[in-house]
Parts: sequence; C-alpha cells; structure tokens
Amino acid sequence: MESLNPISSNSFGADVHLSTKDVHVWFGQRHVLEGVNLEFPVNSVTALIGPSGCGKSTFIRTLNRMHELIPNAKLAGEVLLKGQNIYAVGVDPIQVRINIGMVFQKPNPFPTMTIRGNVLSGLRLSGKHSRNEDELVENSLQAASLWNEVKDRLDSPAGSLSGGQQQRLCIARALALAPDVLLMDEPCSALDPGSTIRIEETIRSISKNMTVVIVTHNMQQAQRVSEQTAFFLAEDNNPGYVVEAGLTNDIFHNPKDKRTEDYVSGRFG
Amino acid sequence: MAKSQESFDLVDLKLKVSGRGDRLFFGFSSVAAYFAFSLVFLIVIFLGNASFSTFKTQGLAFFTGSTWDDAAGVYQIFPMLVGSVLCSILGLLISAPISIAIAYFIEFMAPPRLAKALTNIVDLLAALPSIVIAIWGAFVFAPVAAQWAQIINNKLGFIPGLQNTSGTFVGSPFIAGWILAIMMTPIITSVCREIIGSVDKDLVSAALALGGTRFSTMRRVVIPTARGGITGGILLGLGRGLGETIAVLYVLNLVFIVNFNILENYGGSVAPMIAAYYGESSEVGVSALLAAGVALFLITLFVNLIAQIFVGRYEKKMAS
Amino acid sequence: MTTETLRLVTPETPWRVRSKSQLVYIFIASTLPAALTFLIADQMKLAGLIALTIVFLPLQLLAASLAALITVGKRGILDAILTVSVLFLMLTMGFLLGSVALSLVQKGFKALSFHAIYQNSFYVTSVTSLEYGGLGHALVGTLVIVGIAVIFAVPIGIAVGVFLTETQSRMRGSVRFLSQAMTGLPSIVSGLFVFAFLYLTGWVQRSAILGSVALFLLMLPTIIRLSEEVLKLVPQELRYAALALGAPRHKAFFQVIFPAARSGIITTCLLGTARVIGETAPLIVLVTYLPSTNFNPLSGDMASMPTYIYSWLKFSTDLANQRAWGGALALMILVGVLFTLARFFGRKRF
Repeated sequence: MESLNPISSNSFGADVHLSTKDVHVWFGQRHVLEGVNLEFPVNSVTALIGPSGCGKSTFIRTLNRMHELIPNAKLAGEVLLKGQNIYAVGVDPIQVRINIGMVFQKPNPFPTMTIRGNVLSGLRLSGKHSRNEDELVENSLQAASLWNEVKDRLDSPAGSLSGGQQQRLCIARALALAPDVLLMDEPCSALDPGSTIRIEETIRSISKNMTVVIVTHNMQQAQRVSEQTAFFLAEDNNPGYVVEAGLTNDIFHNPKDKRTEDYVSGRFG
Repeated sequence: MAKSQESFDLVDLKLKVSGRGDRLFFGFSSVAAYFAFSLVFLIVIFLGNASFSTFKTQGLAFFTGSTWDDAAGVYQIFPMLVGSVLCSILGLLISAPISIAIAYFIEFMAPPRLAKALTNIVDLLAALPSIVIAIWGAFVFAPVAAQWAQIINNKLGFIPGLQNTSGTFVGSPFIAGWILAIMMTPIITSVCREIIGSVDKDLVSAALALGGTRFSTMRRVVIPTARGGITGGILLGLGRGLGETIAVLYVLNLVFIVNFNILENYGGSVAPMIAAYYGESSEVGVSALLAAGVALFLITLFVNLIAQIFVGRYEKKMAS
Repeated sequence: MTTETLRLVTPETPWRVRSKSQLVYIFIASTLPAALTFLIADQMKLAGLIALTIVFLPLQLLAASLAALITVGKRGILDAILTVSVLFLMLTMGFLLGSVALSLVQKGFKALSFHAIYQNSFYVTSVTSLEYGGLGHALVGTLVIVGIAVIFAVPIGIAVGVFLTETQSRMRGSVRFLSQAMTGLPSIVSGLFVFAFLYLTGWVQRSAILGSVALFLLMLPTIIRLSEEVLKLVPQELRYAALALGAPRHKAFFQVIFPAARSGIITTCLLGTARVIGETAPLIVLVTYLPSTNFNPLSGDMASMPTYIYSWLKFSTDLANQRAWGGALALMILVGVLFTLARFFGRKRF
C-alpha cells in the first residue's frame, strides 16, 4: 500500500493541493487504469512516465474533467483540488477546467484568431472578464517566454508562428486564465530539440508559482524538468497502474521496483 | 533515402501505360471524362441555339419585362426570376438554421448510434422525390400553412412584405418557401455535417479545456473555422431551390406580376413556370420556354460554381 | 491486492449524477412549458406549429434558461438556449417529415393492393373503383426508363472516376469541377436540353429513350463523385502490388482494384438510382404518359411512377386522388428499398 502513495506533504515538505484517491478509468467495459493514488504538491513539477498505452494520458485528462467528454468514458475514485472532489455533485466542470489548465500534445492554437485573440480566447470562451486585457496578453506571453518574439505582430494570425512558438502560445493561452494547475500532455513530442529546450525553460519558470503535471515519454526531459516522477505501467491488456512514484532523483537513480529500474535504464518501453 | 527512391519508382509505375488493353482502357476513361467535362458547354450551346430566336425577338425585355402572352408573341420572365429568388431565399431562411442545427446535433450532441441513424435519414431524404412533396404540399400542407399565413397577416400585416390584398392565402411564396425548405434541408445538412465534422477535434478539445461552454465553443471556434464550408453548403441548397420544379408547381399560384408580398396568393418561379406552360405553348412559345431554361441553367450553374469554390477552398484548408 | 480493488470498484459516470434539487428544476423546466402551452393553446384555439412557435418556444427558452441559471449559473444560459433551439428546429423538421410519412401511409394505403402492383390502368377512369387497375405499367415504365439510364451512367461514371483516380492527367481538376457543378443541374433543364438536343434536331423521335437520356444526365454527376470516393478508398499498396507484379494497368484495375471496390460501386449505383427514380419534371416534358404497358423504349409513349402520380393529380375525384397517393407511397417504398440495399452493401467497405 505504501508504494502506491509515496508522495506525501511531509516527505516533500510542501502543501498538496491536487491529489487523486483510488482513481479507476474505463472505456465502455475496458478497464484501462486502476487504483491511482498520487499527490501533486504546490509549485512543483510532476512527470508521468511510462511506455505508450499505459494510461498516463488518460489519467491526466481525468484531472481536469476532460475525460468525461469521450463517449463511453467511466470513472471511479476521487480527484481532490484543495480538498474538494472535482467530481462531486454540483461542481461545475467548466470552473474546474478554468482552474486546471491544459496544454496538448500537438500545438493547437485557434487558426481563425490572431496571436492576441488566442491569448484572450480563454476569457472569451469561459465568459470571464479582465480589467486590462493588454496587460494580461503581455504578462501571459512573458510567462510563456514568447513576448519578445511576437510583441510587434500581436494581430497576425496564429498560424504564422513556428511549431515551437505555437506551443508556447498555447501555454500562454492556458496561463491567461490564471489556473492553479497546468496539465501538459507530451507538450514537446511534436517539436524539434531547440523548441523543446525553450518549452522546458518555460516550464521551469512557471512552476515557481504553479503546480505542473507533465506527461512525457522522454526520460531525460522528466529528469530535467521535474521534482517528482510517477511511473505508469500496463501489462498484457491489464489496466495500467502506478508502479512507483517519488522524488525524480530516487526514481531514476535509486528505484525500489525492478520494473522501474528496467524502464528508466531503457531495457523496455 | 531508400524510401524516397522506392516511391519514385511507384509513381513511374503508375504513369506507365503500355499495350493495346491499357490504351483502350484509358482511352475510354478519357473520352468519358471529356464528355462529362463538355456537358456544361453542350447544354449551353444546344439550349442557346434552340432559343436564340427568342432572345433575338424579345431582346433585353425578356429578362426585364413582365408580360407572357403566347398569342401576341410577347415573352418576358422578370416576375418569374424575382419569384424564384424570393421563394428560394424564404426557403433558405427556414432551412439553413434547421440544417445547421441538425448537423450540429449529429456532430456534437447525439450519442454515436443516434448520430448514425440521423445521418442515414438525412441521406435518404436527399432522394425524396419532389412529386411526393408536391402531393403532400398541395393536399396536406398548403391548407394548414394558409392558416398560419392568415394569422401572421392578422397580427403583422402592417409590415411591408407581409401584406395581403386578396383575402386568400393559398398559392403564396410563403408556402412555396416552406416546401423548398424541405427540399433544401437534406443537401445543406449533409454538407454542413461533413464540414462541421471535419473541424479539427483538437481545437474543440482546446476550447473546452479553456473553460468553453457548448455555446461559446460553437460560436468562437466551430463556426468561425467552418464558415466557408457552411456558406458553400447553403449556396448548394440555394441552387437546389432555384431548380425545384414539381413541388413548387403544386403550391404556388403562378402569375406574371412582380410580387414581393410573401403572403399574397400568387408569385412566380422559373422552373415550375416552364413545366406549367410547356404542354400548351406554340412552337415559338416552346422556344421561349427553352430560353427561360437557359436563364435558369446559367443562374443555377453560377450559384453552384460559387458553392463548389467555397467548399473546395475549405477542404483544401482542412487538408493542410 | 489489485484483484481485490478491482472487485470493489464499479465503473461510474459521476458527471451524469444530478442532485435532487437539480432533478426537480430539470423536471419542471421540461414539463411545465409543454403543459402551459397545452392550456393556452386550448384556451386560444391555436393549432400545431403556430402554438409550438409562439407559445411553446418562448416558454421553453425561458424555463430552460432559468433552470440553467439556478443549477449551473450564468454561463449555462446560452447553452440552454442553444440546446432548446437546436432541438426545436429539429422538431420542426421532424413534424413536417412525420406529416409526410403519415399522410403517405394513411392516404396511399387504400390504393395499394396486390393487384395494383401488376395491373395497368388502361380501362381505368377517374371514377373506377380501386378494385380494378393499378400501377404495373408505371412500374414497368420506370424500370425501363431508369434501367437504361443506369446502364449508360454507371460505366461512364465509373470511367470518369477512373480518370480522376488512376491517371495523372492535368485535366483532372477541371473535369472534377465541371462535373460536380452539374450536380446542381435543375431537372427541368435536363429535360429541356434533351428536348432541344435530340428531339428538335430530329435525331430521336418522341419516345421513352428521351427520358432515359435526361435521367442519365441527372445521375451522372452523382455516380462520378461516389465512384471517385470509392476508388480512392482502395489502398494504394494494393494498386502497387498488382502493378509491381508486371500486370498491365487495365488488368490491375479489373482484377484487383475493381473487385476490392465492388461493394462500394454497387452502393454507388443504388444511390444514383434512388436519386433519379422519382424525377418528374423531365419525364413530363419528354415522355407522354400512357395508361397501358409498353416495353419498347424506342417508340411510343410510356408510363412511369412519377408521371402516373402526375396524371391522376389532374383529376379532382376522390378515387383519382387515392390512386395518386397510392402511387406516391409505392414510389417512396421503391426509394426506401433502393436506399436500404445501398446501405446494406455499403456496410462492407474495407
């Protein structure tokens, strides 16, 4: 039982404000994820690693209630944000998604909007208002380290940016809603190495005042950006589960479980 | 490197035509293709030729005048042209929102099974014969719609366009508009469904993850992305409406007077006018009807070409 | 340990769970407007779509917005309005089409009996009892006229599809563009064109074949588009595999590509047929209605299903009217059967 719940506020020394309790996921009758207990401390980066098909992307979508948009999706367990179960009756999923932002695998800025329009799209979509939109645009783009590159062409279409810039625009777009948590689903898998480094720097800097959860299949990336790591595994059509979770250093250099050791040393996956 | 070399060979293979069998095979397909290509020109040439005398004797008044008198040899179709456009626009006002709603429902609200069933029903409705709608329109729908028209006229008759001087309400452009809406809905729906369905699902996910509601996602992301394609679909519906013959023939009272009052008991439309006058026209009159056919063909062709360009441009944008 | 938890947890959909108060609001919002509409319409003697539009729609929009405001908050209002509007617009079309279907069955059923399917209407007048005569001659005529159109449209349409998918010709774009623009060819114009092209020139005498040519023109664009789609679906590897074996291209087509696309091609033919089988306007212009059976497309008049209905609509007696409705029902059944067959074959696509 202990291995399933290794990150506690005590061991890390910080407050926990997002955690999951025994989360199970199904698609129709297919059980894809079982018994996930994880805690994500404030202002830290947690990496979710594991071979493809182990359910880590599915898991991250349960954290901001994007999972339920898939037909046939089912779920059990609790996801707690500041102690409140986000799946409780009466919780507005839209408020959850405003509080917990998300960046996707493929850069997906809105092609019909300008750069500025993309940054403000969260406000428009969720019906929120801002006193000073110009300031919000600048701050969000600064935080995503894109401001200097685009400050002179805020009104050009988002499609005119390079892939890496587009992904940072997507980060800025998510940051504009001032979320408590930012979820990133393999944000660099479609990008070149240079852009990847820029994004990793961005992640490091935004995690100073935000909780970040990042799915990655790049183990070097997990070591570079995260304070803690959870290793997911699914064996032979069985549901995926967390083999081991803990401080990133421990997972990569001192794993408790043989399967973790095999995976991080590149023996499979 | 090896891979690109291989695909080079394959392209060459595909271009290769050798032997008599191949030449015959591609010869036939090319002839068929050029035949399909030249049909539009064939239609214009033969219809134009057969109706040339009408254009010559009637002059520009053929399009701008309002008299059709076979005995006197005067043929002018302005009220019919106006009526075609008026009825089709009425049809669009009804069918475009309905079609977009159905397309939206199928793509975003319906569970997969219901979505599939509805898609099939819409496809079936595209094959709904106009004679079936004609008989239903004349005997079932027109009396009911005339009552609606009367109520609308009672309450809102002071608004220009909703006036009625005759006191009877059957045979009006209003009723023809509803009938056209039924004929247009399947085609607009199936184009809009494909267009809305082809909006990148990642964009929809992104909008929802940013706290988008159903409405704001549609308004800010889906509709702006799909706008060009939806316009194309609506134009295709317009082309369908302009060319509809039999269903309108049975519900519209064809009179050669320009009428913009949609509740008035008469109106015009080119296609049903041709069908109605065809059997009882003199040889010269038939030539004039062919001339009306040329006009109708050029208008619908124009609308359809624009529609094709809109839809094609959208598809190209989506592919890139 | 894992098996134990697996037994304990059950799949749930917590996002669908509603609290009791939410359920009450939803129940009220979905029943009260309908009930009120019923009362008001009864009081004011409003009927059908009118009551639905001017009483029910505003009430329902208001109720749904209020319920959304209470249960979800401000941002739920527009969603509620969107949902109600979408459902209302669908309901309107459903109402109309439901009425079409119901009228067809109610009014057409009486005139459709077993003998009506094979007897013709030669001795039938507008006051003849429904026990005599039928639409057999029209069925035969439609089969002949549409059959000929199909026999020509299918090979030519597929050949154009081959041109568009199997060749690299620079003309492909223009051929596709113009042939698709023909999709919007008004059926009456098709009739007029054939009249001017074949009859006025004296090349073909007035007969059923003229109708076939007009229907051929109307179904050709559909066949071209669908066969291009179907041929595109054949995997490229299959093409290359056949060609790499050294087969000439026409053999590769007939022995590999065509068989692979066969069910799709059958669907194409059936859908194309369903689209034109009810075309009326060109047949009124080109083929004079004949109340008895004629098998010869090259000479004489001929009946068809649409002109059969059209001819009975000219009379105002009840019996003639019933025969017209019977014809309409039969035609619709024909279209439905073709369509169902098309879907049946279409299911087996790769």
